[in-house]
Amino acid sequence: MPLVLPGEQVPAAHVNLKLGPGLLQLSSVDGKSSVISTRAGDLNHSANRSKWWIDSNSRRYIPAPQESVIGIVIARSGENWRVDIGSAHVASLDGLAFEGATKRNRPNLKVGSLLYARVSLAHKDMEPELECFDAQTRKAEGFGELKGGFLVNCSLKMSRLLMDPTHFLLPLLGSRFPLEAATGVNGRVWINTKDPRHIIAASRCIEAVDPDGGGMDEVGVKKFLSTMDV
Amino acid sequence: MSTTTRSDGRTYDQLRDIMIVYEGLDGVDGSARFGFGQTQSLTSVSGPMEVRPNLEQPSQATLDISVRPLVGIAGTDSKALSTNLKAILAPALFLSHHPRTLIQIVGQALCGTESGSGLGSVGKGWNATLVASLINATSAALVNASSVPMKGVICAVSVGRFPSASAATLVLDPSEAELPHLVGGGCFAFLFSSALPLTPSSPDELPPCSLLWTNYTSSVVYDDTELRQAQALAEEGARKVWAAMKESVSNMERTAQCPAFNRFKSAKTESRVKKDTKNLSESEVDDDKMEI
Repeated sequence: MPLVLPGEQVPAAHVNLKLGPGLLQLSSVDGKSSVISTRAGDLNHSANRSKWWIDSNSRRYIPAPQESVIGIVIARSGENWRVDIGSAHVASLDGLAFEGATKRNRPNLKVGSLLYARVSLAHKDMEPELECFDAQTRKAEGFGELKGGFLVNCSLKMSRLLMDPTHFLLPLLGSRFPLEAATGVNGRVWINTKDPRHIIAASRCIEAVDPDGGGMDEVGVKKFLSTMDV
Repeated sequence: MSTTTRSDGRTYDQLRDIMIVYEGLDGVDGSARFGFGQTQSLTSVSGPMEVRPNLEQPSQATLDISVRPLVGIAGTDSKALSTNLKAILAPALFLSHHPRTLIQIVGQALCGTESGSGLGSVGKGWNATLVASLINATSAALVNASSVPMKGVICAVSVGRFPSASAATLVLDPSEAELPHLVGGGCFAFLFSSALPLTPSSPDELPPCSLLWTNYTSSVVYDDTELRQAQALAEEGARKVWAAMKESVSNMERTAQCPAFNRFKSAKTESRVKKDTKNLSESEVDDDKMEI
């Protein structure tokens, strides 16, 4: 997994080449095309070398379709809700984009509500759009309003680590106290527990394990938790 | 080219120790401090983020660059430098990937000129080496942010010209002590990108580079041979800066400040912890020695 700077040539070549985040294909004047990196990070590729991408950390979310994000409702505009997902533009959520919602029966959101939503449209020239149901099944599948709890901000790489089922942190916290958590790829984590001290402990552990905050490992987190009153 | 050593013992083509620290400033998306020895600058980058309607552009991101000197308020020379920085960055970033957004860059000089170089206000000017450190700090901060797609990395170095009877005496990275003895000089900024065509002189490990901008001036008459020599010397120095940046990226996460760790230590020892600078490998400038 070599480290690359932006602007370096990447030896990606395959019949069905798919370029992931951080890579761009450029065509030169004489008709040849080459793949260059557009950000700094670890260059990775799949086993059969058809998928290539760059693994890097950042703090600013760029929306992409079919990603699960946590949004904060900031305004209402007619039938739609304006939701802040941390990107450059405010996202739009249709009032009826919930499971089983009709004109007479729609969810009662307020300004300041937290939502777990899926980005349905993300194009550089349009503002992003959200939906609160799964794309295939059209059922809620966990999307919708998040009631109560507490929102923690983290880096994008940390939120990707938390979404990985093999990462140690959430199971470790869950073994100490009952915990409900929702992670958005936009660098936001929602935590809900009965005791406020558990929420504080969980948010401090997330900040400590975050690569931006030092990248604490499992042993360190266990010692850290033992200093707290949980 | 003269082979005499300089006042600090360097050869004509030797840079001072390069220091790159990714500060991890709060509230911004990327930040970096770059220094040639004592000449340091700090830059922060935020974006792509929300833009005011009067600055919005329909097909590309807007660059908003502010540059601040160490002493005093930003005057005409700082404003001119931010305009130059905008012209340097525009070809190096893919601004069309994020239309109707803002990329906000703030550059801060971390040292004044104790010598009074004669450029701008005495003791407060932007000499060529400080300009080079600012451009490199901006480049490193954009690399740290990883949110704005970059065509390549910009590396800048300064070249100074000593007076001599015969041929021009050019030196790389003139220090503050050498500035009063120069009769000319300037900063050269290069873009290192594989999107540029390969030239016969480019080495294999580095992407090809091309000159983006220079402010080389001289108080004595010079010809284009001298300018080409200065550019060639600067290109060698820029390659070393690129290599230093590449090495620093592998330490990017480790050089960040760790607020959680410091709080953990204070919880354990139950006393106020002094915020210690994390940098283990690169040389650090002592706070006492920094000019305020």
